Amino acid sequence: MSYTLQFGQIWPFLPRLLEGAVVSLQIAVLAFCGGLLIGTVCAGVRSFGPRWLARIVGLYVVFFTNTPQLVQIYFLYFALPDMGILLSSFMAVVIGMTLNAGAYLTEIQRAGFESRRASEMEAAEVMGFSRIQQIRYVILPHVARVLFPPLSNQFIIVTLGTSMAAVFGVEELTGEAFNINAQTFRSIEIFSVTAGIYVVLTLAASVGLALLGRAVFRARTELI
Amino acid sequence: MHHLDITGLEARYGEHTVLSGIDLTVGRADVIGLIGPSGSGKSTILRVLMGLLPPVGGTVKLDGTAVNYADAAQVRRLRERIAIVFQQYNLFQNMSVLENVCVAPVKIKKRPRREVEEEARALLAKVGLGDKLKRYPDELSGGQQQRVAIVRALALHPEILLLDEVTAALDPELVSEVLDTIRLLAKEGMTMLIVSHEMAFIREVASRVVFMAGGRIVETGAPAQIFDAPVEARTQDFVSKILRH
Repeated sequence: MSYTLQFGQIWPFLPRLLEGAVVSLQIAVLAFCGGLLIGTVCAGVRSFGPRWLARIVGLYVVFFTNTPQLVQIYFLYFALPDMGILLSSFMAVVIGMTLNAGAYLTEIQRAGFESRRASEMEAAEVMGFSRIQQIRYVILPHVARVLFPPLSNQFIIVTLGTSMAAVFGVEELTGEAFNINAQTFRSIEIFSVTAGIYVVLTLAASVGLALLGRAVFRARTELI
Repeated sequence: MHHLDITGLEARYGEHTVLSGIDLTVGRADVIGLIGPSGSGKSTILRVLMGLLPPVGGTVKLDGTAVNYADAAQVRRLRERIAIVFQQYNLFQNMSVLENVCVAPVKIKKRPRREVEEEARALLAKVGLGDKLKRYPDELSGGQQQRVAIVRALALHPEILLLDEVTAALDPELVSEVLDTIRLLAKEGMTMLIVSHEMAFIREVASRVVFMAGGRIVETGAPAQIFDAPVEARTQDFVSKILRH
């Protein structure tokens, strides 16, 4: 049995794949930004907060980093409606991925917080900085610089993870690929083009983030 | 009334007593040189004064008013009047030279940025760093970084400046540029407590020298007396060793 590649048949569907790619990016950016916010607060709590609160954050991290993301989203999508909380599949995926990313980003940032320089904090302390001000002016900028590469990496992981949304019928890149496949049965062509789009997305993201990191860090410190 | 009045000061690290029965008075524009072997408690006095190590006994009076180190608000007010420069400079690595100097006056003391920057430029120029405003700490030599650290402390307008072995981490050829800066401050009448191993410098710049050993003050006197005619055997021993070397 031989299979003849016929890319010609799927080119008309390219705009739909690209629309799907935009939805994928939306999910990725929402989940990553939400996760970054959660992660920053939680990492702050774990490093500097009261012990009982740090423990709660610890449980959150353990739960979300030790259960499959798919199961977490299933729970939001199918279990919450029983409690009267109805989510669209898009929202369920975004919230699920945000909580998941939040847990990983907590761990990544905690490592960054622990790389803080005690001596700089002491200098800030004797200059009258409060704890919050020390975090704001001394720790976060330093940590941002140390953490930029692993955070960029996590963004790529989140972007690729959005393909999970297809399972819930969200018409993002993989979801669109499923749909087009069902119409045309040109599986190899569809999924190789889809894979190609993911590669372009992630490469563009890595290069963009690297340039951003280089531009922002020295520049941003001037702004304080 | 003395500017700073320390009586019976006592401090511990855990079970280990690091300061006991420290009595020291500092007048306005005094330059006190604290000398002694490593681990004698010289730096610890400065840390206790700044509220980085809470004392377990004794009193510290600033202009006649006792400081309660257990009260965070009082410690904060104290830190508006006393500044410290550390051995390792401890500059903020993520900020330019100018930002290092301006951040606390602008962000913490809420002074107008323009005024603070103008002052910072003048101070940095005075210590020979007028052309390094936009540089980052890791682009400077140790001596330059330490001068930035001194200017950063001065920008807070302290009444008393504490210098904790500020030349100890520097390459020998960089020491003199930092000492020149301190000389300048002494000439301008800044009240200072200087912990240092630069004996010739202490002798030149200090109005009074305090020799410490084992967490106690052994002997206090004019530089000439401490270095040329020490009374206590422990001081004689220390001085003879450093003079021989």
